[in-house]
Amino acid sequence: MKTTIQEQDGNLVAILEGRLDTAAAPETEKAMAPLYNSQGQNVIIDCTALEYVSSSGLRIFLGILKSVKPKGGHVYIKGISDDIRAIFAMTGFVNLFEFK
Amino acid sequence: MRNNVKLDPHGEELMQRYRDLLPTLEGLAREADGLLRQALREQGIYVTAIECRVKTEQSLAGKLELKGAKYKTIDDITDLVGMRVITFYTDEVDKVAAIAKRIFDIDWKESVDKRKLHQLDAFGYNSLHFICRLKTGGPRFELQMRTALQHVWSTIEHDIGYKGAVKIPNEYKRQFSRLAGMLELIDDEFSRLRTVLTDYRRQIQSLVKSGQLSEVPLSADTFRSYLDLKPFERLNRRIAAVNQAEVYPVSMMPFLPVLESFGLDTIGDVQQFIEENSEDAYQLALSQLAVTDLDILSSSAALQYLCLVYVLKHNGGREGLKSLYDTINGESDSNAILADMMLEQAETLPFMKGKTHEESM
Repeated sequence: MKTTIQEQDGNLVAILEGRLDTAAAPETEKAMAPLYNSQGQNVIIDCTALEYVSSSGLRIFLGILKSVKPKGGHVYIKGISDDIRAIFAMTGFVNLFEFK
Repeated sequence: MRNNVKLDPHGEELMQRYRDLLPTLEGLAREADGLLRQALREQGIYVTAIECRVKTEQSLAGKLELKGAKYKTIDDITDLVGMRVITFYTDEVDKVAAIAKRIFDIDWKESVDKRKLHQLDAFGYNSLHFICRLKTGGPRFELQMRTALQHVWSTIEHDIGYKGAVKIPNEYKRQFSRLAGMLELIDDEFSRLRTVLTDYRRQIQSLVKSGQLSEVPLSADTFRSYLDLKPFERLNRRIAAVNQAEVYPVSMMPFLPVLESFGLDTIGDVQQFIEENSEDAYQLALSQLAVTDLDILSSSAALQYLCLVYVLKHNGGREGLKSLYDTINGESDSNAILADMMLEQAETLPFMKGKTHEESM
Protein backbone atom coordinates (compact mmCIF):
# COMPACT_ATOMS: atom_id res chain seq x y z
CA MET A 1 0.00 0.00 0.00
CA LYS A 2 1.47 3.36 -1.02
CA THR A 3 0.18 6.75 0.12
CA THR A 4 1.33 10.05 -1.36
CA ILE A 5 0.23 13.43 -0.05
CA GLN A 6 0.40 16.45 -2.34
CA GLU A 7 -0.90 19.98 -2.44
CA GLN A 8 -2.62 20.83 -5.74
CA ASP A 9 -4.36 24.15 -6.47
CA GLY A 10 -4.88 24.77 -2.76
CA ASN A 11 -6.35 21.29 -2.17
CA LEU A 12 -4.76 18.53 -0.12
CA VAL A 13 -4.57 15.39 -2.25
CA ALA A 14 -3.92 11.86 -0.99
CA ILE A 15 -3.08 9.34 -3.71
CA LEU A 16 -3.76 5.80 -2.57
CA GLU A 17 -2.28 2.81 -4.41
CA GLY A 18 -2.77 -0.87 -3.58
CA ARG A 19 -5.00 -2.64 -1.03
CA LEU A 20 -6.20 -0.63 1.97
CA ASP A 21 -6.87 -3.61 4.22
CA THR A 22 -6.68 -4.03 7.99
CA ALA A 23 -2.92 -4.70 7.88
CA ALA A 24 -2.18 -1.60 5.80
CA ALA A 25 -4.55 0.72 7.68
CA PRO A 26 -2.29 1.90 10.57
CA GLU A 27 0.52 2.92 8.22
CA THR A 28 -1.91 4.57 5.79
CA GLU A 29 -3.58 6.50 8.60
CA LYS A 30 -0.18 7.77 9.73
CA ALA A 31 0.71 8.82 6.19
CA MET A 32 -2.62 10.66 5.87
CA ALA A 33 -2.06 12.70 9.07
CA PRO A 34 -1.63 16.00 7.13
CA LEU A 35 -5.24 15.61 5.94
CA TYR A 36 -6.51 15.46 9.52
CA ASN A 37 -4.63 18.70 10.21
CA SER A 38 -6.01 20.55 7.18
CA GLN A 39 -6.98 24.17 7.78
CA GLY A 40 -10.24 24.36 5.87
CA GLN A 41 -8.82 23.27 2.50
CA ASN A 42 -10.68 20.72 0.44
CA VAL A 43 -9.33 17.18 0.57
CA ILE A 44 -9.22 14.89 -2.46
CA ILE A 45 -8.64 11.20 -1.91
CA ASP A 46 -7.49 9.82 -5.24
CA CYS A 47 -8.54 6.16 -5.36
CA THR A 48 -7.76 5.58 -9.05
CA ALA A 49 -5.13 2.97 -8.15
CA LEU A 50 -6.85 1.68 -5.01
CA GLU A 51 -7.72 -2.00 -5.38
CA TYR A 52 -9.61 -2.72 -2.17
CA VAL A 53 -10.82 -1.00 0.97
CA SER A 54 -11.69 -2.77 4.23
CA SER A 55 -13.66 -1.51 7.25
CA SER A 56 -10.40 -0.11 8.64
CA GLY A 57 -10.04 1.89 5.43
CA LEU A 58 -13.61 3.16 5.69
CA ARG A 59 -12.86 4.27 9.25
CA ILE A 60 -9.89 6.31 7.98
CA PHE A 61 -12.11 7.98 5.34
CA LEU A 62 -14.76 8.74 7.99
CA GLY A 63 -12.12 10.11 10.36
CA ILE A 64 -10.86 12.48 7.68
CA LEU A 65 -14.43 13.59 6.91
CA LYS A 66 -15.07 14.24 10.61
CA SER A 67 -11.95 16.35 10.85
CA VAL A 68 -12.26 18.30 7.57
CA LYS A 69 -15.99 19.14 7.49
CA PRO A 70 -16.20 21.24 10.68
CA LYS A 71 -13.39 23.42 9.30
CA GLY A 72 -15.48 24.16 6.20
CA GLY A 73 -13.65 21.83 3.82
CA HIS A 74 -15.06 19.16 1.50
CA VAL A 75 -13.82 15.60 1.09
CA TYR A 76 -13.88 14.36 -2.49
CA ILE A 77 -13.23 10.77 -3.47
CA LYS A 78 -11.82 10.51 -6.96
CA GLY A 79 -11.48 7.65 -9.41
CA ILE A 80 -13.19 5.02 -7.27
CA SER A 81 -13.75 1.58 -8.82
CA ASP A 82 -17.21 0.02 -9.04
CA ASP A 83 -16.29 -2.63 -6.47
CA ILE A 84 -15.20 -0.05 -3.90
CA ARG A 85 -18.25 2.08 -4.62
CA ALA A 86 -20.36 -0.99 -3.85
CA ILE A 87 -18.62 -1.27 -0.46
CA PHE A 88 -19.55 2.35 0.29
CA ALA A 89 -23.10 1.65 -0.87
CA MET A 90 -23.72 -1.55 1.09
CA THR A 91 -22.47 0.02 4.32
CA GLY A 92 -24.60 3.13 3.72
CA PHE A 93 -21.75 5.62 3.51
CA VAL A 94 -22.05 6.78 -0.12
CA ASN A 95 -24.05 9.89 0.63
CA LEU A 96 -21.53 11.16 3.19
CA PHE A 97 -18.85 11.74 0.60
CA GLU A 98 -18.64 13.66 -2.65
CA PHE A 99 -17.42 11.56 -5.56
CA LYS A 100 -15.49 12.92 -8.55
CA MET B 1 -9.64 63.33 13.26
CA ARG B 2 -12.02 66.29 13.50
CA ASN B 3 -13.51 68.01 10.49
CA ASN B 4 -13.56 71.75 11.16
CA VAL B 5 -15.38 71.38 14.46
CA LYS B 6 -14.76 74.29 16.82
CA LEU B 7 -15.21 73.46 20.47
CA ASP B 8 -15.45 75.96 23.31
CA PRO B 9 -13.04 75.57 26.28
CA HIS B 10 -15.55 73.37 28.14
CA GLY B 11 -15.93 71.16 25.09
CA GLU B 12 -12.12 70.92 24.73
CA GLU B 13 -11.85 69.92 28.38
CA LEU B 14 -14.43 67.14 27.89
CA MET B 15 -12.61 66.03 24.76
CA GLN B 16 -9.33 65.76 26.69
CA ARG B 17 -11.05 63.68 29.38
CA TYR B 18 -12.38 61.41 26.61
CA ARG B 19 -8.86 60.92 25.24
CA ASP B 20 -7.58 60.06 28.73
CA LEU B 21 -10.43 57.60 29.17
CA LEU B 22 -10.08 55.93 25.76
CA PRO B 23 -8.13 52.81 26.92
CA THR B 24 -10.69 52.31 29.73
CA LEU B 25 -13.57 52.70 27.26
CA GLU B 26 -12.03 50.17 24.88
CA GLY B 27 -11.61 47.68 27.74
CA LEU B 28 -15.19 48.33 28.86
CA ALA B 29 -16.51 47.71 25.32
CA ARG B 30 -14.68 44.38 25.11
CA GLU B 31 -15.87 43.25 28.54
CA ALA B 32 -19.51 44.31 28.10
CA ASP B 33 -19.65 42.74 24.64
CA GLY B 34 -18.15 39.49 25.92
CA LEU B 35 -20.51 39.33 28.92
CA LEU B 36 -23.62 39.92 26.82
CA ARG B 37 -22.64 37.44 24.11
CA GLN B 38 -21.92 34.76 26.70
CA ALA B 39 -25.22 35.34 28.53
CA LEU B 40 -27.24 35.22 25.29
CA ARG B 41 -25.46 32.03 24.27
CA GLU B 42 -26.15 30.43 27.65
CA GLN B 43 -29.84 31.29 27.37
CA GLY B 44 -30.01 29.95 23.79
CA ILE B 45 -31.03 33.30 22.32
CA TYR B 46 -29.94 33.76 18.72
CA VAL B 47 -29.97 37.30 17.41
CA THR B 48 -29.24 38.75 14.00
CA ALA B 49 -26.45 41.03 15.23
CA ILE B 50 -24.60 42.29 18.26
CA GLU B 51 -22.67 45.50 17.62
CA CYS B 52 -20.34 47.29 19.98
CA ARG B 53 -18.34 50.45 19.43
CA VAL B 54 -16.46 53.18 21.24
CA LYS B 55 -17.55 56.62 20.09
CA THR B 56 -15.02 58.15 17.71
CA GLU B 57 -13.40 61.51 18.45
CA GLN B 58 -15.07 62.96 15.37
CA SER B 59 -18.51 61.82 16.46
CA LEU B 60 -17.98 63.12 19.99
CA ALA B 61 -16.76 66.47 18.63
CA GLY B 62 -19.97 66.82 16.62
CA LYS B 63 -22.03 66.05 19.69
CA LEU B 64 -20.10 68.49 21.89
CA GLU B 65 -20.35 71.24 19.27
CA LEU B 66 -24.13 70.87 19.17
CA LYS B 67 -24.94 70.37 22.83
CA GLY B 68 -21.68 70.45 24.82
CA ALA B 69 -23.13 72.75 27.48
CA LYS B 70 -25.61 70.04 28.41
CA TYR B 71 -22.81 67.86 29.80
CA LYS B 72 -21.10 69.00 32.98
CA THR B 73 -18.60 66.15 33.07
CA ILE B 74 -17.57 63.37 30.71
CA ASP B 75 -19.60 60.93 32.87
CA ASP B 76 -22.77 62.68 31.73
CA ILE B 77 -22.19 61.41 28.18
CA THR B 78 -23.60 57.92 28.39
CA ASP B 79 -23.00 56.65 24.85
CA LEU B 80 -19.20 56.83 24.73
CA VAL B 81 -19.50 53.05 24.58
CA GLY B 82 -22.57 51.86 22.69
CA MET B 83 -23.89 48.37 22.15
CA ARG B 84 -26.75 47.30 19.96
CA VAL B 85 -28.54 43.97 19.89
CA ILE B 86 -30.77 43.30 16.89
CA THR B 87 -33.21 40.45 17.43
CA PHE B 88 -35.42 38.49 15.06
CA TYR B 89 -38.65 38.88 17.02
CA THR B 90 -40.27 41.53 19.23
CA ASP B 91 -40.57 39.27 22.27
CA GLU B 92 -36.84 38.61 22.10
CA VAL B 93 -36.18 42.32 22.74
CA ASP B 94 -37.73 41.78 26.18
CA LYS B 95 -35.69 38.63 26.74
CA VAL B 96 -32.46 40.47 25.90
CA ALA B 97 -33.55 43.27 28.24
CA ALA B 98 -34.15 40.77 31.05
CA ILE B 99 -30.67 39.36 30.53
CA ALA B 100 -29.14 42.84 30.47
CA LYS B 101 -30.87 43.61 33.80
CA ARG B 102 -29.27 40.52 35.29
CA ILE B 103 -25.71 41.02 34.07
CA PHE B 104 -25.44 44.84 34.20
CA ASP B 105 -26.53 47.56 36.64
CA ILE B 106 -29.18 49.65 34.88
CA ASP B 107 -29.48 53.38 35.40
CA TRP B 108 -33.29 53.55 35.35
CA LYS B 109 -33.43 57.35 35.43
CA GLU B 110 -31.67 57.53 32.06
CA SER B 111 -33.04 54.38 30.41
CA VAL B 112 -35.89 54.73 27.94
CA ASP B 113 -38.39 52.30 26.52
CA LYS B 114 -39.27 54.25 23.40
CA ARG B 115 -41.80 51.57 22.56
CA LYS B 116 -43.97 52.94 25.37
CA LEU B 117 -43.49 56.61 24.59
CA HIS B 118 -45.78 56.73 21.58
CA GLN B 119 -48.89 58.80 21.49
CA LEU B 120 -51.93 56.60 21.03
CA ASP B 121 -52.40 57.89 17.49
CA ALA B 122 -48.72 57.85 16.46
CA PHE B 123 -46.28 55.31 15.12
CA GLY B 124 -42.58 55.62 14.76
CA TYR B 125 -39.25 54.66 16.11
CA ASN B 126 -39.45 51.72 18.46
CA SER B 127 -36.45 50.79 20.50
CA LEU B 128 -35.44 49.98 24.02
CA HIS B 129 -32.45 51.87 25.39
CA PHE B 130 -30.73 51.01 28.66
CA ILE B 131 -27.96 53.00 30.26
CA CYS B 132 -25.83 50.38 31.94
CA ARG B 133 -22.78 49.99 34.12
CA LEU B 134 -20.73 46.85 34.71
CA LYS B 135 -21.42 45.26 38.08
CA THR B 136 -17.76 45.94 38.84
CA GLY B 137 -18.23 49.69 38.25
CA GLY B 138 -16.61 51.96 35.67
CA PRO B 139 -18.14 54.35 33.12
CA ARG B 140 -21.73 53.99 31.96
CA PHE B 141 -22.56 52.73 28.48
CA GLU B 142 -25.63 52.55 26.26
CA LEU B 143 -27.37 49.35 25.19
CA GLN B 144 -29.94 49.55 22.39
CA MET B 145 -32.24 46.59 21.79
CA ARG B 146 -34.49 46.36 18.76
CA THR B 147 -35.85 43.95 16.18
CA ALA B 148 -34.45 43.65 12.67
CA LEU B 149 -37.46 45.54 11.27
CA GLN B 150 -37.12 48.29 13.87
CA HIS B 151 -33.48 48.52 12.82
CA VAL B 152 -34.49 48.84 9.17
CA TRP B 153 -36.91 51.61 10.12
CA SER B 154 -34.30 53.42 12.16
CA THR B 155 -31.61 53.12 9.47
CA ILE B 156 -33.88 54.38 6.69
CA GLU B 157 -35.25 57.15 8.86
CA HIS B 158 -31.68 58.25 9.54
CA ASP B 159 -30.74 58.03 5.86
CA ILE B 160 -33.72 60.05 4.68
CA GLY B 161 -33.03 62.68 7.29
CA TYR B 162 -36.48 62.55 8.84
CA LYS B 163 -35.14 64.11 11.99
CA GLY B 164 -32.91 66.60 10.16
CA ALA B 165 -32.94 70.36 10.12
CA VAL B 166 -35.63 70.72 7.45
CA LYS B 167 -39.18 70.59 8.75
CA ILE B 168 -41.08 67.74 7.11
CA PRO B 169 -44.57 68.60 5.82
CA ASN B 170 -47.44 66.73 7.50
CA GLU B 171 -48.27 64.91 4.28
CA TYR B 172 -44.84 63.19 4.31
CA LYS B 173 -44.92 62.66 8.06
CA ARG B 174 -48.13 60.73 7.53
CA GLN B 175 -46.44 58.52 4.92
CA PHE B 176 -43.69 57.77 7.41
CA SER B 177 -46.25 56.87 10.05
CA ARG B 178 -48.07 54.54 7.68
CA LEU B 179 -44.84 52.71 6.92
CA ALA B 180 -43.88 52.54 10.60
CA GLY B 181 -47.30 51.13 11.44
CA MET B 182 -46.96 48.55 8.72
CA LEU B 183 -43.53 47.47 10.00
CA GLU B 184 -44.91 47.20 13.53
CA LEU B 185 -47.74 45.00 12.27
CA ILE B 186 -45.33 42.79 10.32
CA ASP B 187 -43.10 42.46 13.40
CA ASP B 188 -46.07 41.37 15.50
CA GLU B 189 -47.28 38.96 12.81
CA PHE B 190 -43.86 37.29 12.57
CA SER B 191 -43.85 36.81 16.36
CA ARG B 192 -47.39 35.44 16.28
CA LEU B 193 -46.57 33.07 13.43
CA ARG B 194 -43.54 31.78 15.27
CA THR B 195 -45.64 31.09 18.36
CA VAL B 196 -48.27 29.28 16.29
CA LEU B 197 -45.62 27.14 14.57
CA THR B 198 -43.91 26.32 17.87
CA ASP B 199 -47.27 25.18 19.27
CA TYR B 200 -47.90 23.09 16.16
CA ARG B 201 -44.48 21.42 16.48
CA ARG B 202 -45.18 20.61 20.14
CA GLN B 203 -48.58 19.10 19.27
CA ILE B 204 -47.05 16.94 16.54
CA GLN B 205 -44.20 15.82 18.78
CA SER B 206 -46.69 14.80 21.44
CA LEU B 207 -48.77 12.86 18.86
CA VAL B 208 -45.61 11.04 17.73
CA LYS B 209 -44.65 10.26 21.32
CA SER B 210 -48.13 9.01 22.18
CA GLY B 211 -48.07 6.67 19.19
CA GLN B 212 -50.90 8.34 17.25
CA LEU B 213 -48.76 8.13 14.16
CA SER B 214 -51.47 7.93 11.51
CA GLU B 215 -52.59 11.46 12.44
CA VAL B 216 -49.14 12.93 11.93
CA PRO B 217 -48.37 14.19 8.41
CA LEU B 218 -44.90 13.30 7.13
CA SER B 219 -42.66 16.37 7.02
CA ALA B 220 -39.10 17.32 7.94
CA ASP B 221 -40.18 18.31 11.45
CA THR B 222 -42.30 15.25 12.14
CA PHE B 223 -39.77 12.85 10.63
CA ARG B 224 -37.08 14.36 12.87
CA SER B 225 -39.30 13.87 15.94
CA TYR B 226 -40.07 10.33 14.82
CA LEU B 227 -36.35 9.58 14.51
CA ASP B 228 -36.02 10.43 18.23
CA LEU B 229 -37.99 7.23 18.84
CA LYS B 230 -35.19 5.32 17.03
CA PRO B 231 -37.56 3.41 14.72
CA PHE B 232 -34.72 1.85 12.69
CA GLU B 233 -32.57 0.78 15.61
CA ARG B 234 -33.92 -2.76 15.87
CA LEU B 235 -33.31 -3.52 12.18
CA ASN B 236 -29.93 -1.76 12.31
CA ARG B 237 -28.89 -3.94 15.25
CA ARG B 238 -29.99 -7.07 13.39
CA ILE B 239 -28.04 -6.08 10.28
CA ALA B 240 -25.00 -5.04 12.33
CA ALA B 241 -25.02 -8.44 14.07
CA VAL B 242 -24.21 -10.12 10.73
CA ASN B 243 -20.58 -8.99 11.02
CA GLN B 244 -20.59 -7.74 14.63
CA ALA B 245 -20.40 -4.29 13.07
CA GLU B 246 -20.08 -0.91 14.73
CA VAL B 247 -22.98 1.43 13.83
CA TYR B 248 -21.69 4.85 12.83
CA PRO B 249 -24.27 7.64 13.40
CA VAL B 250 -25.29 9.65 10.32
CA SER B 251 -28.32 11.77 9.42
CA MET B 252 -31.33 9.96 7.98
CA MET B 253 -32.95 13.15 6.71
CA PRO B 254 -31.68 12.61 3.10
CA PHE B 255 -34.14 9.70 2.93
CA LEU B 256 -37.19 11.88 3.56
CA PRO B 257 -37.71 12.74 -0.15
CA VAL B 258 -37.45 9.02 -0.93
CA LEU B 259 -40.19 8.16 1.57
CA GLU B 260 -42.34 10.97 0.16
CA SER B 261 -41.78 9.65 -3.36
CA PHE B 262 -43.12 6.27 -2.17
CA GLY B 263 -46.40 8.03 -1.39
CA LEU B 264 -46.01 7.77 2.39
CA ASP B 265 -48.14 10.64 3.70
CA THR B 266 -48.06 10.11 7.44
CA ILE B 267 -45.63 8.89 10.06
CA GLY B 268 -48.07 5.98 10.46
CA ASP B 269 -47.38 5.08 6.81
CA VAL B 270 -43.64 5.09 7.56
CA GLN B 271 -44.22 2.80 10.54
CA GLN B 272 -46.21 0.43 8.35
CA PHE B 273 -43.50 0.58 5.66
CA ILE B 274 -40.94 -0.53 8.27
CA GLU B 275 -43.13 -3.35 9.57
CA GLU B 276 -43.94 -4.68 6.09
CA ASN B 277 -40.39 -4.61 4.73
CA SER B 278 -38.08 -5.26 7.68
CA GLU B 279 -37.64 -9.01 7.17
CA ASP B 280 -36.91 -8.62 3.44
CA ALA B 281 -34.56 -5.69 4.13
CA TYR B 282 -32.69 -7.89 6.59
CA GLN B 283 -32.44 -10.71 4.02
CA LEU B 284 -31.12 -8.29 1.40
CA ALA B 285 -28.54 -6.85 3.82
CA LEU B 286 -27.54 -10.34 4.89
CA SER B 287 -26.99 -11.44 1.27
CA GLN B 288 -24.70 -8.47 0.74
CA LEU B 289 -22.79 -8.23 3.99
CA ALA B 290 -22.37 -11.87 5.03
CA VAL B 291 -19.86 -12.46 2.24
CA THR B 292 -17.71 -9.52 3.43
CA ASP B 293 -15.79 -8.74 6.61
CA LEU B 294 -17.19 -5.18 6.78
CA ASP B 295 -17.65 -4.41 10.45
CA ILE B 296 -18.78 -0.79 10.22
CA LEU B 297 -22.20 0.38 9.04
CA SER B 298 -23.90 3.74 8.84
CA SER B 299 -26.98 4.16 11.03
CA SER B 300 -28.94 4.78 7.82
CA ALA B 301 -28.17 1.25 6.57
CA ALA B 302 -31.49 -0.20 7.78
CA LEU B 303 -33.48 2.59 6.15
CA GLN B 304 -31.47 2.26 2.95
CA TYR B 305 -32.16 -1.50 2.73
CA LEU B 306 -35.84 -0.89 3.49
CA CYS B 307 -36.03 1.58 0.60
CA LEU B 308 -34.18 -0.77 -1.75
CA VAL B 309 -36.59 -3.59 -0.90
CA TYR B 310 -39.60 -1.33 -1.41
CA VAL B 311 -38.39 -0.34 -4.90
CA LEU B 312 -37.62 -3.96 -5.82
CA LYS B 313 -40.99 -5.22 -4.55
CA HIS B 314 -42.86 -2.53 -6.42
CA ASN B 315 -41.16 -3.40 -9.72
CA GLY B 316 -39.14 -0.21 -9.72
CA GLY B 317 -36.35 -2.12 -11.46
CA ARG B 318 -33.13 -0.55 -12.61
CA GLU B 319 -34.62 2.91 -13.13
CA GLY B 320 -36.28 2.88 -9.72
CA LEU B 321 -33.07 1.83 -8.00
CA LYS B 322 -31.04 4.41 -9.89
CA SER B 323 -33.55 7.08 -8.98
CA LEU B 324 -33.32 6.02 -5.30
CA TYR B 325 -29.50 6.18 -5.38
CA ASP B 326 -29.67 9.53 -7.22
CA THR B 327 -31.85 10.94 -4.41
CA ILE B 328 -29.74 9.76 -1.51
CA ASN B 329 -26.26 9.91 -3.08
CA GLY B 330 -26.70 12.75 -5.54
CA GLU B 331 -27.19 12.26 -9.26
CA SER B 332 -24.43 10.29 -10.96
CA ASP B 333 -24.04 7.83 -13.83
CA SER B 334 -22.30 5.48 -11.42
CA ASN B 335 -25.61 5.05 -9.58
CA ALA B 336 -26.74 3.01 -12.60
CA ILE B 337 -23.85 0.61 -11.93
CA LEU B 338 -24.92 0.31 -8.27
CA ALA B 339 -28.49 -0.32 -9.46
CA ASP B 340 -27.32 -3.11 -11.78
CA MET B 341 -25.28 -4.73 -9.01
CA MET B 342 -28.25 -4.54 -6.63
CA LEU B 343 -30.64 -6.10 -9.17
CA GLU B 344 -28.26 -8.96 -9.78
CA GLN B 345 -27.69 -9.65 -6.07
CA ALA B 346 -31.37 -9.40 -5.12
CA GLU B 347 -32.50 -11.78 -7.87
CA THR B 348 -32.39 -14.91 -5.72
CA LEU B 349 -34.10 -13.44 -2.65
CA PRO B 350 -37.55 -14.82 -1.68
CA PHE B 351 -39.40 -11.51 -2.12
CA MET B 352 -38.21 -11.36 -5.74
CA LYS B 353 -39.80 -14.68 -6.61
CA GLY B 354 -42.26 -14.33 -9.45
CA LYS B 355 -40.60 -11.12 -10.58
CA THR B 356 -38.70 -11.91 -13.75
CA HIS B 357 -35.50 -10.08 -14.57
CA GLU B 358 -37.23 -8.54 -17.59
CA GLU B 359 -39.99 -7.21 -15.36
CA SER B 360 -37.39 -5.62 -13.09
CA MET B 361 -35.58 -4.05 -16.02
